[in-house]
Amino acid sequence: MIHLQGITKSYTTGAQSLQVLKGVDLRVEAGELVAIMGSSGSGKSTLLNILGLLDAYDGGQYQLDGRDMAGLSERRAAEMRREMLGFVFQSFNLINFKSAAENVSLPLYYQQVPRKERTRRAHELLDRVGLLDWADHLPSQLSGGQKQRVAIARALAAKPRVILADEPTGALDSSTSEDVMVLLKELNAEGMTMVVVTHENEIARACGRTIRLRDGLVETGMDVGA
Amino acid sequence: MWERDSWIEVAHNVLAHPLRTALTGVSVALGIFILVVMQGLGFGLQHGVEQQFADDAVNSIWVEGGRTQMAYRGNQSNRPVKLNNGDIPGLATQADTVPAYSRRIRMWGAEVVWENPDGENQSGNFGLRGVDPAHIELERSNLLSGRFINERDVLESRKVAVVGPNIVEELFRSAEPVGAFVRINGVLFQVVGTFEDPGSRWENRVTYVPFSTAQSLFRSDDSFDQIIYSTGAMTTDATVAQSGRMLGWLKDVKAVHPDDSRGVRVDNNNEEYAMYASIFEGIRLFIWGIGLMTLLAGAVGVANILAIGVKERTKEIGVRKALGATNGSIVSLVVMESTVLMLVSGSLGLMLAVGLLTTVAPMANHEYFQNPQVDHRIALFALMVLVLVGLASGLGPALRAVAIRPVEALRDE
Repeated sequence: MIHLQGITKSYTTGAQSLQVLKGVDLRVEAGELVAIMGSSGSGKSTLLNILGLLDAYDGGQYQLDGRDMAGLSERRAAEMRREMLGFVFQSFNLINFKSAAENVSLPLYYQQVPRKERTRRAHELLDRVGLLDWADHLPSQLSGGQKQRVAIARALAAKPRVILADEPTGALDSSTSEDVMVLLKELNAEGMTMVVVTHENEIARACGRTIRLRDGLVETGMDVGA
Repeated sequence: MWERDSWIEVAHNVLAHPLRTALTGVSVALGIFILVVMQGLGFGLQHGVEQQFADDAVNSIWVEGGRTQMAYRGNQSNRPVKLNNGDIPGLATQADTVPAYSRRIRMWGAEVVWENPDGENQSGNFGLRGVDPAHIELERSNLLSGRFINERDVLESRKVAVVGPNIVEELFRSAEPVGAFVRINGVLFQVVGTFEDPGSRWENRVTYVPFSTAQSLFRSDDSFDQIIYSTGAMTTDATVAQSGRMLGWLKDVKAVHPDDSRGVRVDNNNEEYAMYASIFEGIRLFIWGIGLMTLLAGAVGVANILAIGVKERTKEIGVRKALGATNGSIVSLVVMESTVLMLVSGSLGLMLAVGLLTTVAPMANHEYFQNPQVDHRIALFALMVLVLVGLASGLGPALRAVAIRPVEALRDE
């Protein structure tokens, strides 16, 4: 599903150039649940940006579902994000002036799905994450765990092929963290490919495989299908 | 469907931020409101002045005797200078064309008695003028009934009178004045017409009689007080030149020192009108200046609020991007939002200003302030400026916001 080969990325700030990724090789098969770990500065968020087509890479090759992602136009990248990827963030990033259902239906808005169909599907997904009764609540009226479940429902709305989660439990206490991981594992069990960036060993253990980044390179976990 | 949906999205976003919307809306509405009201007031002033000049014909030269202030050619100062019938041919030689004119003899108070055949005599004290037929045009009076003084009246020194509305009201009341007989300072005149002068309150208290009649009855010589020349379609420059020549000629004939400004006076309304017109042009420019500055201040405020708004929304924009929004769709969303906001609040300010001007206008009628009105072109111009500022000020920050990498914008609170 995801195939990275020798991905490099550097940022230039003023006169200094910082090489963040120094040739990352990575393979994630369809239906896998993979954790990416690494200390801060190891390049894991940069890697997630590149995986999520939110940032360009300098060198190497990135294939998503067999398609080469090199030199995508901005418009094309947005299209690929829309069709292929769902995002879950540490701080949920729900739009605070939109209700739970409206948040969930937002990706469908960008897919130009008619309004009625959007609402129907949003309610279906909220039901799936156990929050149907909260559909009309604003994010400020929800608990942290509920917000993250709304965010997961939103990530699922466009029926993506891969879900990219950036520290999905980073802002949650341990029991709600567990609930969220259970939900993610359920989705994985239904066949969804997932990449979870985390710094928590417990979360990583719950995933099928762990990839460790250090100084812009993959440390272990190259053994596919472990 | 898609079109309608994006407008719903815009409306939702605008209404979801009541404070931001209100702040932006108020500054836009206020900018438009102040500009339009100021312009309206400016027009009010302009109309007021034009009304003042509607009193007398603008294209006229007024010649008048006075008292000398300087000794000259063997004459003492403080000598009265009078115009005489004999000056008229000489003055005419100084004119570009053969002009229509009216001499004028003034009496501030004359006793007018209506010899009422059906009851008590009515009397009052009114102004009197001996005039030539052209006077009605030069003073811009309107004939209400009967006729004005004509050539024959002057030639034959007929004892006929044309009376103003105050005289009709106070002496005749509901009786018919035309054909009635009145005694003016003891001399019997027949009323042949009535007039009104919309530009002057004083003139409405006046009785006009033929110039020659007034001169022979009330003057011991062939002198008179004033002569008014029409300048027709002459330019301001030509009028000013002609009044200069007339003044020079008169000063020479009347032995008035060239530097004596009180001996004789030659005024022209053209010059005066041009002066007032330039003063009011200045005032209008000033009002424009204030209006534009207000608009600019409003626009800067709006730009500021929008810029802050977009900065606040960096996260939201990041989320939208991650969910598959293109940069274009985000920029167009922000720009549409600011434009809608500007148009709606701008129109509100415009309606308020128009409402104020139309309700207050009829109440505010002063000599120098009449009929304030809204110039629709100015209102539209102001709206356009605000919309353009809205576009520009929404566009910049929106473009910067979409350039931020979403995962960075979205990380950590």
